[in-house]
Amino acid sequence: MVGEFAVGKTSLTQKFVNNVFSDKYLTTVGVKIDTVVVGDTKLIVWDVAGRDSLSPVNSSYLVGAAGIILVADGTRPETIEKLGQLWDTVSDRVGDIPVVVALNKNDSPDWQEPNNKSREEFEKRNWLTFETSAKEAVNVATIFERLVAQIISS
Amino acid sequence: MGQKIQQTKSEHLIGEQLSEKFAIAYICVDHAMRVISVSDNLPVYGYTDIPVGSDISDHVDFMVGMDAQTDLELDYISSPTGASISVSLMPNTSTQQLLVVINDVSKQAEQRELIQQKANENELLLRKQEELVAKLEQASQSLEYKNQQLEEASRLQTMFLSGVSHEFRTPLASIIGRTDLLQSIVKNDGVSDSVDFETQLHAVQRSSQHLLSLVENLLDHGKFDSNEIILQPKATELVELFYDVQVLLSPLSAAKNIGLNFNTEFADDIAVYIDDSRLRQCLVNLVGNAIKFTDEGSVDVSACIADDVLTVNIVDTGIGIKEQDIEQVKQPFWQAENTGKSGTGLGLTITEKIIELMGGELSLTSQYGVGTKVKFDLSAPQVTQQDLAQQDVVQNERQIPTDFRILLVEDDFDIAGLVMLTLAEHQIAVSHAENGDVALNVMAEEQFDLVLMDLNMPIMGGHETVQALRERGDTSPIVIMSASASEADRILAEELACDGYLVKPVDIADILTMAKQIASNKNEVPS
Repeated sequence: MVGEFAVGKTSLTQKFVNNVFSDKYLTTVGVKIDTVVVGDTKLIVWDVAGRDSLSPVNSSYLVGAAGIILVADGTRPETIEKLGQLWDTVSDRVGDIPVVVALNKNDSPDWQEPNNKSREEFEKRNWLTFETSAKEAVNVATIFERLVAQIISS
Repeated sequence: MGQKIQQTKSEHLIGEQLSEKFAIAYICVDHAMRVISVSDNLPVYGYTDIPVGSDISDHVDFMVGMDAQTDLELDYISSPTGASISVSLMPNTSTQQLLVVINDVSKQAEQRELIQQKANENELLLRKQEELVAKLEQASQSLEYKNQQLEEASRLQTMFLSGVSHEFRTPLASIIGRTDLLQSIVKNDGVSDSVDFETQLHAVQRSSQHLLSLVENLLDHGKFDSNEIILQPKATELVELFYDVQVLLSPLSAAKNIGLNFNTEFADDIAVYIDDSRLRQCLVNLVGNAIKFTDEGSVDVSACIADDVLTVNIVDTGIGIKEQDIEQVKQPFWQAENTGKSGTGLGLTITEKIIELMGGELSLTSQYGVGTKVKFDLSAPQVTQQDLAQQDVVQNERQIPTDFRILLVEDDFDIAGLVMLTLAEHQIAVSHAENGDVALNVMAEEQFDLVLMDLNMPIMGGHETVQALRERGDTSPIVIMSASASEADRILAEELACDGYLVKPVDIADILTMAKQIASNKNEVPS
């Protein structure tokens, strides 16, 4: 799980793994690792601390990753615009691995549809993109299931 | 070789020494990631029951996906006990073993979490603040824009009111002044050497017509907003119509000592199918404007017809329009500043809308200080003289019988008196009822050939009265005669089976036409 800080990576993971959600923002230091079974596949989820003003994404956490869920916050357009840069960091370290994009917080009244430029970039990069809500469990399981499917077929 | 053996042995020895000295845990795995040894304190971090020879990735989640060559430092991994650990993967290329060193960094993680949490919350707040400031600026700009619009609307309204006031006062002054003059002459035996009654009455009539056209423009503007304008085309003789406009406007150009030239390039007897009153209104507005804004030179009106399209050009040598104002002149209530000319600012707006409604197009070109040219094209299908002659015959053949009786239902005694007097001039007997209630009583006793019904009256209004009459089976011909030009009132009158609708001020000729038509219909009904 990779993305800017406070986009909801931990919320999506915890909703999927433990079916819990909290509105309170708690920063992740380093990485939290969870294990969950998707179909016949055991998935080790690395919930990586978001990129923030203090630290860039630590690419060491990406070593050995089989797939990536890029997470952005639909209420903060800049987090969507930075997905391209994030992916460059990821692919520099681990190559072209399967990707699913989660545009999170689609339950929020401040939600904004991604602009045309972002949509064009998603299409150009051939990214599977989902609007998600950890709060209302929208597409939460879908992003993990679709990533697993891509990893298996790749 | 001896050195290599020593090095191999030292892998877990180093781990043991570290473990003893710093409470650091370790795992040693071979090239296939099978466990060689683990430190005794490893279970402290939640990694328990790891048999020697088993695959490390089956027991330690962060080792999934790693291999024996992975050289990596991983800070702040959450361990199964919740403690934050740092993990160092140290491969030994010669032994092909991997030493995994685990260290508790919970305290550092706690400190980092505090700092990171605050920094990120601050950044989120900062972004929220920036968003709010941006929204505030946007709202402020929007308010400023609306304020400017309101100021502009207020300016236009003030200009409009002062324009309307001036426009109304001018003909009113003429009407009041001339009627006062005539009244004083009448009081003094009705004789005057210097004042010609007919000239004064013509001037009063002209001013009244001008006043009426102003009111009609104002009403039309409202009607266009609610799509209430309906065209009523009929066979129209163009030469006559253009001549009427010229006669009507000549006094204005003569008063300013400028030329007014009409050049119509069509045959004297040409007739087209068009709404004549709307075409007349357009010409009066456009030519009237040209005269108003021309102080020297002339206004030249030319018209021609080709392929059933009427083209009219109005060219003046007036003050012209500044380039930056060209787009605005068609806006309602807009008037150029410092021209010293007043008006309602509606004439051109309405004219353009009427022309568009008639399927035409109006274009305007101007050079400031030189003059303005207005051109419009209209669809004007020609009608044959035979059709026109037939229309005239039908009109002329109709006569009002001598015993024709009209009931006028009107609460305004001045208007009632005027209509009765005028109709009496045409030898038509008229009875008067001052409201609907009185009319109902009168009509219960007497039969009338035509009822002229006002709408807004005290006690009982026109619509209510007609409804009551129809409900009691009275089918008398009723023509509404109201100051209301609203389409809704017109439709309601139709629904109540009224025979016509005349808008005040009513031309007596229109009442006579209605009367002739009703008398003619009555005669056509088989007995």
